[in-house]
Amino acid sequence: MALPILLRVSNFRAYVWDVDDINTLRSHHRICGILTGTLPHLSSQNVFLGLPLQLMPEEVVLLVENGIAVLADDPSAHHSPSPSLLKLWQEERLSDARQQIALTEEKESIEASNANRAMSESAQRKRKEREERRAHATVNTAPNIPMDDSPSPPPISENPSRLAVEESPDRAVVMPSAPYTVHVPASSSRLAWYAPHSHLYSSIEAGIWKYPSTLQERARCGVFRSLWEQGFYMGVGIRFGGEYLVYPGDPLRYHSHFVASVIEAPGAALRPMEIVAHGRLGTGTKKAHLLCEWNDETKVVSYFSVEWAGFG
Amino acid sequence: MQNHPSAILGQVLAKYPASGGALFQVYNDLTLAQRWSDVQVLDLTACGRAAIKGKRPTTDTDQGPSTCVVVPCSLSESISTSWLRAAFTSLEPSGTEIYVAITTEDTSTVYYKISQGIVKPPV
Repeated sequence: MALPILLRVSNFRAYVWDVDDINTLRSHHRICGILTGTLPHLSSQNVFLGLPLQLMPEEVVLLVENGIAVLADDPSAHHSPSPSLLKLWQEERLSDARQQIALTEEKESIEASNANRAMSESAQRKRKEREERRAHATVNTAPNIPMDDSPSPPPISENPSRLAVEESPDRAVVMPSAPYTVHVPASSSRLAWYAPHSHLYSSIEAGIWKYPSTLQERARCGVFRSLWEQGFYMGVGIRFGGEYLVYPGDPLRYHSHFVASVIEAPGAALRPMEIVAHGRLGTGTKKAHLLCEWNDETKVVSYFSVEWAGFG
Repeated sequence: MQNHPSAILGQVLAKYPASGGALFQVYNDLTLAQRWSDVQVLDLTACGRAAIKGKRPTTDTDQGPSTCVVVPCSLSESISTSWLRAAFTSLEPSGTEIYVAITTEDTSTVYYKISQGIVKPPV
């Protein structure tokens, strides 16, 4: 029996940060979710999205009730790092930065010996500016020491790599001023002070989760579960005017056959206009509309398929 | 005069006055515009209204006309899934699908096929 998957809950929303878990959820449990991660520098990113995966509340309820997943109280799982852990983390960052700068310099020295190196005036000027900036940086890595008292500045050479780093109990590690890439990890799993396992809940009754709390929400959970148990994959239905799109297989391989909407009770008011709207839109997109009625007393879902008649 | 819709529908119109308008409109549409044949009126007591059963002409030359049941309803009404279920129950044993005919004040009538259960759309 596989270990339950951790669903990291923050502000009543569940996220999956591990790619392997996302894979398992999709291929073994028919739960697709939606990727919601974007890159900070791309403003209109909405085609290719990355981690984390966000789950519909109905998906979360099903996974936890079936014992496939547990809820992790993510904010509480991020403990405050102890000074020693923090120091270790900063040292790792510093060594990563140094490594990057060293590799950059190595690359540049290889290019310097390259016969095809650009020798135009603008290329030379840019190179000179870069060297000056770096030399300036080595002098400025100890900001609290006034300029006159500093030791004689290191000779400006082709590859200035002197980094002055100061460490003291009350001052953080100073990072080099030469450019390097800051890596922001997607998952918190590698942070030494992230401890989700002491903040796990195997029931949706946990205080960090509130769904379902109304009849409408119970109806949605009931309908989702009923469709899932019949082997369907569900996606969000907004593109076709319904709650869910119902696929006979993985959405990457199939088109959906149905658009489902949830009727919260057998007696709930249904307007004929809804039948017209759902029916016509469904048929116009080669699908049928599914009215899924939830009975809160018997906990049974009944289905009605709606299609345009084709005449009239 | 005997063939006027009001003569044929007289009994059910009196029995179910609330849905009389929709029934009258759908009956005329099916018999005159849609050209259905073998049209009969059914009394669906569980639904509180009358329905129409008949043979719908088909464009398929090898397939004969198929028998369908139409339940009329006005756009201004409020129905429910239990109403739909009642329509199916009244038609048993032959009820797998019904057509709901929705009427409007300008005499437009639209027909939607409702099936019980999860029924895939035709390819």
